[in-house]
Amino acid sequence: MTLAVDIEATFTADGADAFHVAADFEVDPGETVVILGPSGSGKTLLLETVAGFHDHEGTVEHDGLVLSDRPPEGRDFAFVFQDYALFPHMTVTENVEFGQRYREADANPEALLADLGVADLTDRYPPTLSGGEAQRVALARALAVEPTVLLLDEPLSSLDVPTRQSLRADLQDVLAGVTSIYVTHDRTTARALADRIVVMNDGQVVQTGTPEDVFERPASPLVARFTGSNVVPISALSDRASLLDGDRDATHLTVRPEAVELGAHDPDLTGTVERVTREDATSRVTVAVEGVPEPITVFSVDPPAPGTTVSLGFPPERVATCRA
Amino acid sequence: MATRTTPLPLDALGRGSVALAVVAVQAVAFAAAYSLGRPTLYAGFVVLSAAALGFASRRGLFGVAMAALGSVLLVALGLPLLLFAARQSPSLIAEKATDPGVHRVLYLGVYAPLLAAVASLAFGVPLAYHLSRGFAGQPLVESLVDLPLVVPHSVAGIIILFGFGQGGAFPGLSVLGTLPGMVLALTFVSAPYAVNAAREAFESVEDRLEYAARVHGASPWQAFRRVTGPLAMRGMVTGGVLAWARAVSEFGAVAVVAYSVEFFYPPAGERVVAQHAPVFVYNTYLQGGLDESGAVAALLLGVSAAIFLLVRWLTTDATTTQGVA
Repeated sequence: MTLAVDIEATFTADGADAFHVAADFEVDPGETVVILGPSGSGKTLLLETVAGFHDHEGTVEHDGLVLSDRPPEGRDFAFVFQDYALFPHMTVTENVEFGQRYREADANPEALLADLGVADLTDRYPPTLSGGEAQRVALARALAVEPTVLLLDEPLSSLDVPTRQSLRADLQDVLAGVTSIYVTHDRTTARALADRIVVMNDGQVVQTGTPEDVFERPASPLVARFTGSNVVPISALSDRASLLDGDRDATHLTVRPEAVELGAHDPDLTGTVERVTREDATSRVTVAVEGVPEPITVFSVDPPAPGTTVSLGFPPERVATCRA
Repeated sequence: MATRTTPLPLDALGRGSVALAVVAVQAVAFAAAYSLGRPTLYAGFVVLSAAALGFASRRGLFGVAMAALGSVLLVALGLPLLLFAARQSPSLIAEKATDPGVHRVLYLGVYAPLLAAVASLAFGVPLAYHLSRGFAGQPLVESLVDLPLVVPHSVAGIIILFGFGQGGAFPGLSVLGTLPGMVLALTFVSAPYAVNAAREAFESVEDRLEYAARVHGASPWQAFRRVTGPLAMRGMVTGGVLAWARAVSEFGAVAVVAYSVEFFYPPAGERVVAQHAPVFVYNTYLQGGLDESGAVAALLLGVSAAIFLLVRWLTTDATTTQGVA
């Protein structure tokens, strides 16, 4: 029952160069694969291509069945759009029931709406809903057809922060056990929801792995930057041997901000606090280090003042190496 | 939400009562100017009162200038209409209104354009849908669709005779002086309105809604029937009404192709001969003078306005989409 995607597609827009998207990955039954990438990396086009909205080369196979020559209605998927794409002239219930007319699915629309906390909206029309309500309805519409694979395109990114957090928590429950592909540029969401992550940049897959792999062992400085890791050129380190772990060709070292020790006794680097940004429970401290192009980010509950000289320690077990 | 501290003098009265007051004042002013035999005075009064309303809405000198200039066009459009209405002889209109010959003309003047509007929609809506989604060679097709808008309509009539008349595309179809010829001519000149209005409506329906319908199981036809079509319904109806209205007013092409036609007339239960209403009005003008043609024109104007308002009213509520589209 694995979904196997191996596709290539070229997109042309007026006045722009052709954009090439290629990806090769699998989604196991019950698994959520998050496609993570910056804006313009082609992840939405990839998802829409999997759904059958665009012409492409290569194949989309589910359980050995080739779906790529079928139109969107023949693939047995469901889709949650970034901007909801609810039918404005139908009530919430009519929206949720929409696909059940065409698919053999007997999920109870009212129960779905109730599970998503929007049971009282049944007779409302989409234009009267808030963003969070609309996206819950859109999710119910997608689940109502009991898809083999659920496709979600940045479903949280049009929402304000509190709504996003509450829907993200609900999505963790909804997606558990549902075979799904989830596109996002938000690494927090990716980490919260993914069983596996496919990192995309400029239309190409640059790393595939578990969240642990992608966040702790980024395959390149590019992935490290995008997932929020610190990137340090190895040339900037005085004592290289202890951190290199045998990879002689490595050019960069990466380490998560939460792993960096501030005020370490045996520092790997020394720098100057550039900025302190207060966050929920802790502060984000950026430290400028000579010879390191990008400032190092560290979290601290008791941050030093800007301008202070600080020592930074990288626990060897949390350090990874990569090649540019 | 109070965004203004002092209400405008006009706002304080409420929109409805302001409109009513303005109409009443204008009616009195027109009646006065007309009875003095100096309608020009009324034209000046309209421009001055528009400027005064602009001033009262506190839009500043800019607002006053825009209102005054805009009202000049209103005078050009409205004053002839008012004078036309005022100068009709009620007894002559009543006489024409009971003339069976005029009934036939009015019937044909509504019925043939209706057929043309239906034809424009039946074939124009699919074309409009494709134009809204884009295809290779689209600019060429667009130019062809808009061609009737720039071709003089007598020329359109000649083109139709060459294309569909004797020796034309359909040898079995008699076009000159027949109802099919008349409907063809009317469709030729009115179809662009139906296509363009429907196309705009389709363009306003987001691609994503169609995608959403498709990915949840609907075929292209089902997606159109349940999503795109209903959301574009008002635009399609508007296109139909525009095409119908354009066909009602068509003179040139019909005068060339089907000056007078024979058709089945249900009130008489038999086939009768009549002319398209604009052609009939022109004919009456040539034969009977301005007064007689004015009376017929007034009837045609009344019937057109009534149907136009009726359709507008029907489409305002029936096809609303809860404030969207």
